[in-house]
Amino acid sequence: MEVTFKIFRYNPEKDERGNYVTYKIDAHPNDRVLDVLEHIKGKEDGSLSFRRSCAHGICGSDAMRINGRNMLACKTLIRDVGDHITVEPLLGLKVAKDLIVDMEPFFENYRKMLPYLINDSPLPEDGKERLQSPEQRARFDETTKCILCAACTTACPSFWANDEYYGPAALMTAHRFIFDSRDEGAEARLEILSETNGAVRCHTAYNCTEACPRGIHITQAIGELKLAMVTGNID
Amino acid sequence: MGLQRNVSLSTGLRYKGHSPFWAYILHRIGGAGMALFITIHIFSTFADQQGWKIGGLVNNLYTSVPFQIFILFCVLFHAINGLRITILDFFPQKLMPYYRQIIYVQLALFVLVFGFAAVSVVATALGRM
Repeated sequence: MEVTFKIFRYNPEKDERGNYVTYKIDAHPNDRVLDVLEHIKGKEDGSLSFRRSCAHGICGSDAMRINGRNMLACKTLIRDVGDHITVEPLLGLKVAKDLIVDMEPFFENYRKMLPYLINDSPLPEDGKERLQSPEQRARFDETTKCILCAACTTACPSFWANDEYYGPAALMTAHRFIFDSRDEGAEARLEILSETNGAVRCHTAYNCTEACPRGIHITQAIGELKLAMVTGNID
Repeated sequence: MGLQRNVSLSTGLRYKGHSPFWAYILHRIGGAGMALFITIHIFSTFADQQGWKIGGLVNNLYTSVPFQIFILFCVLFHAINGLRITILDFFPQKLMPYYRQIIYVQLALFVLVFGFAAVSVVATALGRM
């Protein structure tokens, strides 16, 4: 089938503003958007720039707006988005070139959440693992799936309006540790979340939940964080 | 480096979100509509007090049937949507997995209440004519 690809192009060395370039490509309905982008870069226009790494929905490198919605190019089949496809960079982050955005503000917010296990208690008597029951592990299982692709954060209208807002992905990281029974840093993280640019900026538009390529119920997790902030209960 | 991050209103509105995103936008329109109403209400009262003619004109604007229906839309949508958000915020684990279905319940409730209120306003206006 012939597919029309309209791709946002921006070269910081030549362009003052971005523009759209259209490519007509022969593609199979089961091809992924990433396959077609690779084809365009390899055969049509080598200057096209985009991020990709594992190409299997794990590394989170190739999040972009496909037909107006955040998706991973490697998980999106042509047959699911039609034969007229518009590909644009993520919203709310500076475009460095074509489909590549500057992810530093995103990772800066991520780092603010203290994204590591905090536990200063002595090790168990056998000196080995801090054990968890299956129920305790299940409590934060959902948010361990985050691949930091930024599809959620850049779909959030609160983040569009204010990039000081930590954003859904950073909040997922906080959730992943706050509800981990082995972690002892919940109080510090809840303090961070209570700041002006913390969880209260979430206005439940659910764009993050809809955009998440890992199917994480992000708004629900943020709701759990808000409740924990108010009640102090992290069970 | 590169283009600025600013997301314009039109770019944001073009994002293809689902029903909760549109509820989010309408919630803000409702809030802005109510702020507008209160502002012009205060202004018209002040203008009337000062004996300015514009006070009567503004008064006529917000007592007109289309404006009343607009304000009813703003108030009722903002209230019912706010109620949904508040209820979900209290029970994230139990209710948030069903957020799509709950939006439809909210819309059905809104159509019912707003429809009744709008018909009442129109019927009252027709009765006065």
